[in-house]
Amino acid sequence: MADFISRISVVCFAASYLVALACEASRLLFRSGVRGAVMVGFAGAGLLAHTLFLAWRAAHEPVVPLSSPYDWYLLAAWLLASASLWLTLANPRTPVGLFMLPLVLGLIGAAELSSTVPFPRSPATQVWGAIHGGFNLAASVAVAFGSSTGLMWLIQAGRLARKQAPSRLRMPSLEKLAGFTGRSARIAAWTAAAGFASGLVLNAVNSSQGLLDTVPWTDPVVLRMGALVGWLAVAALVGRAAVRRPEGARTVAILSLVSLAVLTTSILWGVLGPSRHGAPAAAATAAEVPR
Amino acid sequence: MVLLSTCNRVELYAAGENDAAPPAPGQLVRFLAECRGIDSADLEPVLVRESDAAAVRHLFSVAAGLDSMVLGEPQIVAQVKQAWALAREQETAGPLTAGMIQAALRTAKRVASETAIGRERLSIPSVAVADFARGVFERFDDKRVLLVGAGKMAHETLRYLLEAGARDIVIVNRSAPRAHDLAARIGARVGRFEALVDEIASADLIVSTTGATEPVVSLDAFAAAERQRGGRPLLVLDLAMPRDFDPRIGSRPGVWLYSIDDLGAACDANRRSRARELPGALAIIDEETRRFMGDLHHRSSAPVIERLRAGWAETGEAELDRLFRRLPSLDDASREEIRQAFDRYAAKLLHSPLASLRQESHAGPPHGLLDALRRLFALED
Repeated sequence: MADFISRISVVCFAASYLVALACEASRLLFRSGVRGAVMVGFAGAGLLAHTLFLAWRAAHEPVVPLSSPYDWYLLAAWLLASASLWLTLANPRTPVGLFMLPLVLGLIGAAELSSTVPFPRSPATQVWGAIHGGFNLAASVAVAFGSSTGLMWLIQAGRLARKQAPSRLRMPSLEKLAGFTGRSARIAAWTAAAGFASGLVLNAVNSSQGLLDTVPWTDPVVLRMGALVGWLAVAALVGRAAVRRPEGARTVAILSLVSLAVLTTSILWGVLGPSRHGAPAAAATAAEVPR
Repeated sequence: MVLLSTCNRVELYAAGENDAAPPAPGQLVRFLAECRGIDSADLEPVLVRESDAAAVRHLFSVAAGLDSMVLGEPQIVAQVKQAWALAREQETAGPLTAGMIQAALRTAKRVASETAIGRERLSIPSVAVADFARGVFERFDDKRVLLVGAGKMAHETLRYLLEAGARDIVIVNRSAPRAHDLAARIGARVGRFEALVDEIASADLIVSTTGATEPVVSLDAFAAAERQRGGRPLLVLDLAMPRDFDPRIGSRPGVWLYSIDDLGAACDANRRSRARELPGALAIIDEETRRFMGDLHHRSSAPVIERLRAGWAETGEAELDRLFRRLPSLDDASREEIRQAFDRYAAKLLHSPLASLRQESHAGPPHGLLDALRRLFALED
């Protein structure tokens, strides 16, 4: 069994998600009585493989489990894939996967471009590191989830404005989608802010104990995370102010898409740009964990 | 015999038992005519007779709603089930009609699940609620529904809204007694027609069906209500002809206004969508008919197969007895092994002719092959 789990690779679950996405996309082309079962089967198999893959890595990492950028993106993808499968099971006629699985695959792609070197930690910084990573993870997943429901809101509103009967892509009600999108925007803003604040604390602890290089305010990670937190706060405040206006839900939906664009830019910046974020102090080294 | 009677048809399905011929069509016509006390000659112009595969295909089409006035309507399945229940209760059905009805119900289920022929709604009230109101609102038990006018269309639309969970309903009508009458029946509140703007301000969903010749709600009147709404979305189903709401209200932010023309166009689109599903549904009907007829024809070859197997088994047993008498030293395990080898040998030899019989059954009763088997293996009836 252990041998079997150890052979699960990113390709296994990424391919399963890709097949599930193709099944969802085929709704646009033809009807099928078995497609739903096939789609859920592949998405479920992908999620199971994804879970086993992360569990294996968590059990075999030498430092803190799942503490490299690579693991972080895969964990975010796992959370989003779980949400996608849950919503698909709850709303079998809604093509949830069509909106969420591309984001899941995007996060897996970001993982493949990221470093597998775990962030070096000591008992003193382990808790703050976990808090920092956890909040950032929650913020990213909330942004991705909210942008999916926001896009669905805009499609559904477009259909209703054109006074058309539902097409093959049946969306949930505007009320439900607006609720999901608004809550996601607020959760994203709060968790991103908490992630940023905990990052500052972590930085201070690291610099006082000489564990890691101090991340300067001008570091690209600080700048991009600061920009993301600032944008999410603005989006949440504008969304909150707009909620009592007739066009409030549309505003929140559009803001959610802009938030996804800001998050994507931030991730690409982080993946491709240089940074002292998580770099060990000059004396310390960290080993790369194989993918 | 199974009698299926619906709004648009009376159908009698008859089959003979144990190779016996079914009642002649003339007898069935006389039976139907006598039941209704009419001359059988009067029935002739409206009679349609089908037999064999055509009759099976017709029943499958009926059960799937393809023969209904409203293409794909689902109630017909329940009526087929009722007809079958009645036939069983009266003990008028045999194994063939039982198999045919079960196959028809299975076919209807396949058509419903593998095509969308019965999925889209076709009546204006059902489209208004299922395709538009449910597209805007997730739940209705926390929404206020305002009924402007108390006409038949309002009543029908309200039925769907009540099914969807609407509880808080206000009726505003120029004729107060009629509003009170409807309100008493559904447990609604009656509002004053003069306070219509205030009622609009507090409503989430409006169904308007007055017989007024001029718009009941102008853009200015709506603007007054809009200021009090606090940005809540509003769905207006204007089912009146001519319209009760100024069409410009539909372009106000947060307002989803649908006139009876809009809903009629959606109904037509749904109707076209159902028609597009027809080829897929017919393909299922054809496939199920072929399968049913194939099984039916194959069953007719069962006696010949039975005799063939029995003859081979008898010869095999005789040969085994002779062999075991000549080899008395064989133990039980060896005897059993030899017996199984004989059985396998017989089964393998029989496989090809039986497969050919099954294959031939799909095209019709395999009389030629059965006759050849009878003559080749001297099978007597």
